[in-house]
Amino acid sequence: MKLYKIFQSVALSICFALLTMTFFLFVSAEDALAKVRVVTSVPTLAAIAKEIGGDKLEVEGLAKGYQDPHFVDAKPSYVLLLNKADLLLYTGLDLEIGWLPVLITGSRNSKITSINAPGNLNSSTLIPIVLEVPTVRVDRSMGDVHPLGNPHYMLDPRNGISVAKGIADRLKEIDPENASYYDERLKDFVKRLSAKIKEWDEKLVPYKGTEVVTYHKSWVYFSDWAGFKEVGYIEPKPGIPPSPSYVAELIRKMKEMNVKLVIAESYYPQKTPALIAEKTGASFLALPSQVGGREGINTYFDLFDAIVGEITSKLANHGKG
Amino acid sequence: MKIRVAAGYLGVTNINRRIILFVFAFLFFSPSVYKEVWGDESDEIKKQMQELRQQMESMQKKLQELEEKNRKLEEEAQKQKEEKEVEKALTETAPPPQPGFLQKFVQSLNPDISIIGIFSGAYFTTDDPIFHAEIDPENTGIDLQELEVAFQGVVDPYFRFDSFFALQRDIFEIEESYATSLLTLPLNLQIRAGLMRSKFGRINLQHREFQDFVTLALPAAYFLGEHLNPVGAEFNFLVPLPWYVELSASVNSPGGLETTTFAPDEDANNIGLLLYIFHISNFFEVTDDFSLSLGGSFATGSNGTGTENRSNLYGADLFAKYRPLKYSSSYQEVWLQSEFMYRQAETPEKTLDDWGAYAQLIYRFAKRWNSGFRFDFVDTDDPVVPLADDVGAENLLRVIRQEVEEEEEILGLLGKELRYAFMLTFNPTEFSRIRLQYEFDDPDFRGSYSAFYIQFQYSLGPHGAHPF
Repeated sequence: MKLYKIFQSVALSICFALLTMTFFLFVSAEDALAKVRVVTSVPTLAAIAKEIGGDKLEVEGLAKGYQDPHFVDAKPSYVLLLNKADLLLYTGLDLEIGWLPVLITGSRNSKITSINAPGNLNSSTLIPIVLEVPTVRVDRSMGDVHPLGNPHYMLDPRNGISVAKGIADRLKEIDPENASYYDERLKDFVKRLSAKIKEWDEKLVPYKGTEVVTYHKSWVYFSDWAGFKEVGYIEPKPGIPPSPSYVAELIRKMKEMNVKLVIAESYYPQKTPALIAEKTGASFLALPSQVGGREGINTYFDLFDAIVGEITSKLANHGKG
Repeated sequence: MKIRVAAGYLGVTNINRRIILFVFAFLFFSPSVYKEVWGDESDEIKKQMQELRQQMESMQKKLQELEEKNRKLEEEAQKQKEEKEVEKALTETAPPPQPGFLQKFVQSLNPDISIIGIFSGAYFTTDDPIFHAEIDPENTGIDLQELEVAFQGVVDPYFRFDSFFALQRDIFEIEESYATSLLTLPLNLQIRAGLMRSKFGRINLQHREFQDFVTLALPAAYFLGEHLNPVGAEFNFLVPLPWYVELSASVNSPGGLETTTFAPDEDANNIGLLLYIFHISNFFEVTDDFSLSLGGSFATGSNGTGTENRSNLYGADLFAKYRPLKYSSSYQEVWLQSEFMYRQAETPEKTLDDWGAYAQLIYRFAKRWNSGFRFDFVDTDDPVVPLADDVGAENLLRVIRQEVEEEEEILGLLGKELRYAFMLTFNPTEFSRIRLQYEFDDPDFRGSYSAFYIQFQYSLGPHGAHPF
């Protein structure tokens, strides 16, 4: 008898749950027609998608711009966003390996679960050159190396153009009705970005060849574009915090060279880089590396305006006390 | 006078002067003539002027039009130039075909293979510490706690398949081996099928290498038999609500379980006596920094103590995490994980009521350092007497699962047991770990004792990400 009652209540609660679900399915089906739902792993990709898709898209970024994209909590609330996504944009090159796959599996959304599905876009396939692709066998004694290459490519604004084009192509595939709209916006974005790149280039020209030290190997694409020379890293190996002896050795090496700038993302510990800069006479800059990395950085343009602006003004004032 | 002077100046004669004067007078006083001679002419001039003006105006208009045209042309040229530039930018940056790039990938369809070794050293202040869970350190000394081998990968567009094997020196266990559906199903359904850790609370889903302490929490050790991993099919529904709600229901066969809570019934044909497990999980992203997860679980199935004897296991779980994401403190976090379990078990003698709970608070104070405190206990209304002392303990109840009677597995609890643990963990990288733990065990059915542990953990290969 007891058993029967338990089963009855369980059955009833399941029926109730199913009913509520069907109800909500109907409700959500109605507004699902309107816009293409785009979910991006990091906010910089969301910013580019917004530039291309305008009001035809509903864009959500998972990680915050001020957060280390290597270490993001795989919150179940992200599963909800992925469940409804028409397009998932991610950095690739294993940047999100620690948190995105488990979310994709939980999404129950065949639009994005398959790597070659139209709704699954690995942005690293869009850029012309991936830097630091290992040419020899790698293992973890080298630290947390990315075996597919360095994934911080969005810090070269020229890659912004490639990625924008790839996103536009994919949007046209998913939403062919608005193809011309995406084309127009892509052209407009590329025009604005090209003009801006020229402007940033001009600003950076006087500082070509500047020797810099960065916290993580996350600025190689930026340095490649800006013509900076990365002569050292505060992390002895990717993902491994520096020991005091390593810091001392780095300071000694930096004093022999002419390092003017120490760069660290805002999410890394700030004390060590600031100390190293102080001891070596370099300037320390805590910079955002993603859109949303700081208040007021809402577009891809804002991001480089901030990075280039702060670097050039720091370098211009360098040595003036 | 003026006329005269003027005439004189022009060199005309007197007669002529008169005539001229006359003509002038005539002309002056005759308005009609005036009009005929001068008036018509001024009209014409006016007309001409007007024409001229009109011409000028039209010329101006034409000029403006031309200017406009020119401007437009220039604009168009500029636009074309810009478009060309855009096109150039787009084609220049388009990824060139990269035949070499793919070759650099080790393209293979092998599954991800990973292996995790957990070794531990232990020191107990007693000669015979209580044996709680098979993979906890048993005695003073150093031992292999667990070697976990995982094979994971996507089978086809519809399924992925994950297998985990737990090895000890003399034990081989299939910890999990199940398929997960990847496709879109009605009602946001996801199916898992195979041998898997059931969705019952939180700790049951956490593999040993992911747990925060060296030893397993008491309720999980006693009620779940370390982990509840029957063979079955599980249906997980994502409920379309504004927050994350997942409803899970599974039907399982209790055969082969390590747990004493559930075991196959003698009446093997009774579908009602299979193991049914239900779980609801709610997740609230209260702020970007603070998340809260609340869940409820229910499992019911035969317990093998006699025909149609059944165990009901109820669970409630809570997980709260605070991780301030902004700026350089982003690696510091605090989380609280707590579970409560209540078990009702029908036995030939009477129905047992046992319950237990644990709560653990972990503080990650630096990127590579964790510290934590755990409090766990189990309690029962009807203690089971330890087998060695059972003689003469009439008021105590002992229930032994029938088919393993020789091994003397006990379904009920021995009494109250209370435990505290402190741990400190250092993770040199994400792939290795060193952990120290102190534990104080205080059971009411025997003397209390302390334990010191040191644990080493190493992991190789791509191991699937863990759920939040």
